[in-house]
Amino acid sequence: MWVRWWILLIPPLIVGFTLVAASQFVFLRASFFEDLGLGRVGDELVIENYVQFLTDGFYLKILWVTVKTSALAALSTLILGFPVAYLIARMRSSWSMILLAGIVVSTFITIVIKVYGLIVIFSANGLFNQTMLAIGLFDKPFSVFGNETGVVIGLMHFTLGFGVLLLYSIIQTIPKSLESAAQIHGANRWRVYYRIIFPLSLPGVTAMLLMVFNMCMGAFTSAALLGGGLVFTLPVMIQRIVMMDIKYSMGATIAAVLLVSVIIINLLSIYLLRRLRAAHLVVV
Amino acid sequence: MKFVTYRLQKAIGRFFFGLYCSISYIFLLSPMVVVIGTSLNGPTENVEASFTFPPDSFSLYWYTQIPEGQIDALLLSFVLATVASLCGCLLGVPAALGLVRSNVPGKALISAIFRAPLQIPAIVTGIAFLQLFYWIGDLTGFYWQGSIIGLALGHIFIATPYVVGTVTAILQRFDTRLEEAAVIHGASPRRAFFRVTLPVIMPGVYAGALYAFMVSFSDVPVAIFLSSPGFVTYPVEIFFALENDFEPSLMASATLVIIICLLLLLLVQKVIGLDALLKVGGSRGVG
Repeated sequence: MWVRWWILLIPPLIVGFTLVAASQFVFLRASFFEDLGLGRVGDELVIENYVQFLTDGFYLKILWVTVKTSALAALSTLILGFPVAYLIARMRSSWSMILLAGIVVSTFITIVIKVYGLIVIFSANGLFNQTMLAIGLFDKPFSVFGNETGVVIGLMHFTLGFGVLLLYSIIQTIPKSLESAAQIHGANRWRVYYRIIFPLSLPGVTAMLLMVFNMCMGAFTSAALLGGGLVFTLPVMIQRIVMMDIKYSMGATIAAVLLVSVIIINLLSIYLLRRLRAAHLVVV
Repeated sequence: MKFVTYRLQKAIGRFFFGLYCSISYIFLLSPMVVVIGTSLNGPTENVEASFTFPPDSFSLYWYTQIPEGQIDALLLSFVLATVASLCGCLLGVPAALGLVRSNVPGKALISAIFRAPLQIPAIVTGIAFLQLFYWIGDLTGFYWQGSIIGLALGHIFIATPYVVGTVTAILQRFDTRLEEAAVIHGASPRRAFFRVTLPVIMPGVYAGALYAFMVSFSDVPVAIFLSSPGFVTYPVEIFFALENDFEPSLMASATLVIIICLLLLLLVQKVIGLDALLKVGGSRGVG
């Protein structure tokens, strides 16, 4: 049908391109000004900030904490999410829709509210600690605030719903008949997991891990709230350095480092997904 | 005998698998259940006791204690999310149509530009827009941060890709022969579009609008830079309330937000079905 569809592209493209280009240009440019503190910046373009980031142990440690917590959260999301995704994907009854709805609901509620719930659950005389102390698993109350375990738990609350939905679409591409065939030929449940589901979902799972890792790297809210001013990741540091120290250039520099690392990981996962899609292994 | 042990093994296996999955669900949903439950506590001598779960009493006392600041923030968030969702559709639907239907060169690049906000961490978007608004302000004298324009621009930026994504997903599966059939039977291309194509892609639009609304409604990292004192979105307001004055009334307003989100999800689910909502693209929360 002869319609000039490309005309429709023009307005959104102008708006989209202007916003992307202008915002990224202005902030990347800002990262090259020397930071004089209190919002004042030098007027020459220098790489001072980047040198400071790469040589100062303080910033490098933050980078390391970000990578570590993100990797842990991505792995835990996989471990906690895979069985659920498998269950929903293989379920035949209408329960699967209800279970899916539960996942979707959880992704729609702002993480701040979920952290409120975590505060109550993990408070010293809250449900979790009272139970754990009563059955003697812990000898002192366990806190999720201001430590890396808490940050990982917060990040998981941010990624688990998304992770399950992604894994669900990966598992759906593995035909159930393969599992039945293996079982008919005498494989037990573990062998089916180990020889069929694991190898067939491996490429999709790798892509999912990269995506979730990326989300965690850029996650601000959960890391900031559960870090409680004691654990710093790159996004938390950006907000702190801009709003409390009022160092705009340094904040922009950290943001640029974060952006570049996230984009590299993204390109990697896009490349991986394209290879998979070509091989008809995932439908995401 | 062997048959019995096999059955037993299977039953035990199922039990532990079910248990494992329930733990995942408890992990995922318990914070929300606890927030709703805690909000029903009655007034107590010390504030600490009002945070007990399960609640000691059933009372709506804390709902009457929600500070005005939070109500204002909630209203602002609602207006902002509606604006972001509408503008997201106005930009996203033509973008998706143009992307799928036209054959302009450099389509991959164009779609990468539309998808760029998803790739940029939200906190980076926040600081980038703040710097952009400072820069525009220095040039023109009008500073957009802390105003509805600034907030709306930031949220339209992060919300639009969701609409592009959902509508593209539907359009790619749309059989163009339906449209051709309408034209062959005498419909003008315009009529064919509005009577055939648009109704088919509407589920994608609804889903995209819902995602866009939710992204804006629950965003902290962008709004934290673009809000100003007295002009704050709800998530940012309660983000700071956590550090300053953690009161049981927070649980009450948070419960209201959970209810709003559930109602919206239910509404969209009724219109297009949960299945369609998921098929057009995974939801991806913000944080």
